[in-house]
Amino acid sequence: MKIIVDLNLCQDHGQCAIAAPAVFRMNDDGKLEYEEIAEESRRAEVEEAADVCPVQAILIEG
Amino acid sequence: MTTTTQLDPTTVPSFDVADPAFSITSDEVHAARERSWYATTNYGIAVLRYDEVSRLLKHPKLRQGSVQWPAHNGVTEGPFAEWWASWILNKEGEEHHRLRRLMNPAFSPKLIGGLVPRFQALAAELVDAFERPDHCEFMREFAEPYAARVIAIMLGLPEDEWPIIAREATNIGLAMGVTIQSELPTIEGALERLYAYADALIDDRRANPGDDFVSTLVQATRDSDTLSDQELRDGLVLLIFGGYDTTRNQLGLAMQTFMAHPDQWRLLAERPELGGRAVEEVMRVNPTVRWVTREALEDFTFEGLDIAAGTTVHLFSESAGTDPRVFGEAGFDLTAERKPHFGFGGGAHHCLGHFVARSDMSEALPLLARRLRDPRPAGESTWLPDSGNTGPMTLPIAFTPGA
Repeated sequence: MKIIVDLNLCQDHGQCAIAAPAVFRMNDDGKLEYEEIAEESRRAEVEEAADVCPVQAILIEG
Repeated sequence: MTTTTQLDPTTVPSFDVADPAFSITSDEVHAARERSWYATTNYGIAVLRYDEVSRLLKHPKLRQGSVQWPAHNGVTEGPFAEWWASWILNKEGEEHHRLRRLMNPAFSPKLIGGLVPRFQALAAELVDAFERPDHCEFMREFAEPYAARVIAIMLGLPEDEWPIIAREATNIGLAMGVTIQSELPTIEGALERLYAYADALIDDRRANPGDDFVSTLVQATRDSDTLSDQELRDGLVLLIFGGYDTTRNQLGLAMQTFMAHPDQWRLLAERPELGGRAVEEVMRVNPTVRWVTREALEDFTFEGLDIAAGTTVHLFSESAGTDPRVFGEAGFDLTAERKPHFGFGGGAHHCLGHFVARSDMSEALPLLARRLRDPRPAGESTWLPDSGNTGPMTLPIAFTPGA
């Protein structure tokens, strides 16, 4: 599946990195880094990351 | 006569935040914001501008800052100290993340959305029950029952027991004041009664699981890990405490702000779809959580300032939310596009219940705008100190009844 984060909305709260640490992580400067393509086996946690994002900036395609 | 010493840009402002007369939304604080991004205080530093608050709120070198509060006030053991230490807010790192992963699904916007019709019906019922047609004590007759019954709805408790929720949550709130030690018997009595509620709920939902909030928490699993009974009861009591007072106060502050902006109240009555915007705009200029606390994990330098390990950092939410660098001189406007406010904190500790709070307040405010036309103060209101968490204690208002 493809992951799109709206970086204009993203506030680097890092809730996605807590929900799905294999796909999203916060770097040493506290900024978001993430995989744009994730394995299908990660779907449940990626959906949860999108769900818990305080600003609802994560879109999943496919 | 000049006031050059006061305006000297090389002088870092200083606030006595322990003085009961200190106001975090005062001209003094706003003037200090124009001189410096931070001020010194008796508890460390205060951060005053939007950009610095935003960055420090999520800074990897800072942890949540309230874990030591009971100990700093002489409370180091017993049920309250243990409960405080259990708070997800007071955990860090993987210990925190594990709890957050297990708790998050119950607070999902999908689950909350199903409660919207009940929030609407509740708001209407409370206005219908006002003792007088054109006057109310807004906190007692609306904000308190609304906040407490929203929690009862979420937890599946009988709604007519809301006064117990309100009373015990308020009693636990005594722990936020400097008189925590002398109030400890009252605080721990409240804790014991709320634990009894939580235990009964957990037992009931284990025996009769449904698709409700508590069942979702009880059944939450992640990689075969689940919440223990102790974690569940600690979390449920935190939800009752954390959800009640904040919502109650934020509704009172919303009424205060809208009474000062009657054109915006009329607009909200005409356009109820602005309810969500109303919540955001109120929380930007008049947040109940006046400061968010952080503590430095190690020595670091930020914007040229050396911050030593252990330093308390208070992030001033109203000062940041009205920072002219970001918001210009713009006033209160439901139709304006705004950058996010910090009323729900941020980073790893971003308020877990924000979807609930946003949803219930965005239903209540448009209904109030329609039913309570031209609200105005009617007699003297009483207020909590303007720091920490604030709001009206009583707020008598008069209004013209609307349909």
